[in-house]
Amino acid sequence: MATEHEHWLERGEIYALGALDGQELREFQAHLDTDCAICAAYVRETRETLNLLHRSLRRVTPRPELKSRITEQLDREKVVAIAAPQAKPAARRQRIAGAIAAGLIGIVLVGVFYRDRHREAMNAAIVNLLRDPATRDLRLYGAGPTPQAQGRFLWNDAGEGHVFVAHLPALPRGKSYAVWTIAAHSAPRYVGAIATDASGRGAAHIKSPPGAAPGETFAVSLENEGTTAAPAGPIVLISKPS
Amino acid sequence: MTTTEGAADPIALIHRIAAQNRDAFSQFYDRYAPIVYALALRMLRAQSDAEDLLQEVFLQVWRQAAGYSVERGSPEAWLINIARSRAIDKLRAIRRRERSFVLTDDPAAAESSDNVETAAGASETRLIMNSALANLPEAQRRVLELAYFDGLSQTEIAARLAEPLGTVKTRMRSGIQRLRGMLGTQAA
Repeated sequence: MATEHEHWLERGEIYALGALDGQELREFQAHLDTDCAICAAYVRETRETLNLLHRSLRRVTPRPELKSRITEQLDREKVVAIAAPQAKPAARRQRIAGAIAAGLIGIVLVGVFYRDRHREAMNAAIVNLLRDPATRDLRLYGAGPTPQAQGRFLWNDAGEGHVFVAHLPALPRGKSYAVWTIAAHSAPRYVGAIATDASGRGAAHIKSPPGAAPGETFAVSLENEGTTAAPAGPIVLISKPS
Repeated sequence: MTTTEGAADPIALIHRIAAQNRDAFSQFYDRYAPIVYALALRMLRAQSDAEDLLQEVFLQVWRQAAGYSVERGSPEAWLINIARSRAIDKLRAIRRRERSFVLTDDPAAAESSDNVETAAGASETRLIMNSALANLPEAQRRVLELAYFDGLSQTEIAARLAEPLGTVKTRMRSGIQRLRGMLGTQAA
């Protein structure tokens, strides 16, 4: 498969750098549009490497006023959104209403575009996992303070997975749901966090660092935000019944 | 795997920003603004342009945090990608406006070699990157820097260096592959 793709992967490296241009760029973009998972993954990995180049630069702290400028802009955006429907003279009102409607349609379309692209990418990743014969489909059981919680974990030992959870309590401020893989004779390894909605449902795509030992048990725990070294909070879901 | 500087998990911060949490945005800004600003200064060189870019990038983060997923890479890679894309757009707009725009060798090269060689007092990751760059053959490093920091395409680099396009491509790919080999998985 890699040999078949050698031609595309060569272009993928230059594409990831942002330097591909002309006909080669158009051809490669058309190829990516065919949902080639190999090239998409290769470009993503190459970008991860290249996007470390900025670390060769000395960090420069921007003027404090810049942060204020940005937060003021966020405030203004809120004010505009709230103030937009206020009454105006008829003709102007119509123009404004038209402009707002056009703007809203634009915002909705852009939102739908990005949401759909994100959803498509996520769906493609899940389908790839399901296609992979090495992927395991594990059930997660509620544990500790959350016996009602449920979950599923698609996981392959290449270190990629997707976790779905339901019936988890709303997160207290400053807390997060952390996902761990536990290999034999190894400490639990943090592989990501799950954001849940108001109904307690959530999902996350997981990629473990290369070289990690294959996980045997999988768990979700309630942690203080930023906890990644080892689970310290209660386990709320686990792949084997407690 | 581990979060740097003991800060909150950046993925969790992005999720909270998507829910319009200003405190999370503030933490995210404090953590990443210095690296985005350094990149903006390096690419655009003018302080006012770099400040504008910084503002645009973080406003985009605020508006599009819901669109982030790990599929797009680490939070740092996602953010740097946004910053680079916007900076390259600006650089290309400048070049279109100023037909006679010519990158002088001195500023970029001087800064580049300074960045590569002045390691004293730098952070560990900066040392690693400087070491990786310093270990690239000069010709490979040059084409990578022209593409990454100056936003030049392969054709523009070939014209600028007066080298055949094929040579430039080979150097780019060899440089990338060497970097991959040297850096492995240093991503945050």
